[in-house]
Amino acid sequence: MSKTNNIVDFLEAGLRAESLRQKAIANNIANLKTPGYRSIRVKFEELLSKALDSPGAIDLSEVKAEIYQPNTTPVKSNGNDVSLETEVGKMVKNSLRYKAYIRLLSQKYRQMELAINIAQK
Amino acid sequence: MEIDNTFGPIDIAISGMRAQGKNMEVISSNVANARTTDVGNGEPYRRLETMLQADDDGIGGVSLDEIVPDMSDFPKILDPGNPNADEHGYVTMPNVNLPFEMINLNMAMRAYQANAAVLKRYQQMVETTLELLR
Repeated sequence: MSKTNNIVDFLEAGLRAESLRQKAIANNIANLKTPGYRSIRVKFEELLSKALDSPGAIDLSEVKAEIYQPNTTPVKSNGNDVSLETEVGKMVKNSLRYKAYIRLLSQKYRQMELAINIAQK
Repeated sequence: MEIDNTFGPIDIAISGMRAQGKNMEVISSNVANARTTDVGNGEPYRRLETMLQADDDGIGGVSLDEIVPDMSDFPKILDPGNPNADEHGYVTMPNVNLPFEMINLNMAMRAYQANAAVLKRYQQMVETTLELLR
């Protein structure tokens, strides 16, 4: 059932990833001044596309977002590499994506509700 | 820097904000050392300047290329009482020009604000699209 996953499952996986990403951003901002702290990122889209490419059924609840530390960004003098501007940008993007998923999800539920209401009549 | 199409303007605006933030750091160093007559090697503080560079040939953000010292001459002021004065009573001062730094400071601040404004407007644009999904 690889390509017949429910839209709701996809949106749910996306929402889970975005909320993890939001946590990662919050963590980075909280450690803005922590000496030696390296920022963390969330990897999800790559994992999802890899899972979609592989043949056979995929279980979307198995496709989990991962936290990683890139360790490639230039560090400041105290060994910290968090940039407030970058984190704010990521947060804006993240919240826009989250909003899009939530809207799509509510559209989907509205569709279902419509179908239920028609059945009742 | 990776730029995906939907969120390209956000990445570009952020790169501008980061570049101006660094610029501000350099300006504040210049202002703070406007009267530093000795940086450790007997020379006065030499003014620094940021060089910015476009990330790509086409559409792209900006990044800090390098921070270069201003090689203009150091001015000398007459101050015979100063311990750093030479035999004629002149002290070599840093080549920082405070009014000039203030102008740079204003420009850096405005450029930062402009980038933040672009970011905010673009966010509003995407939200307009998302309104259609309601």
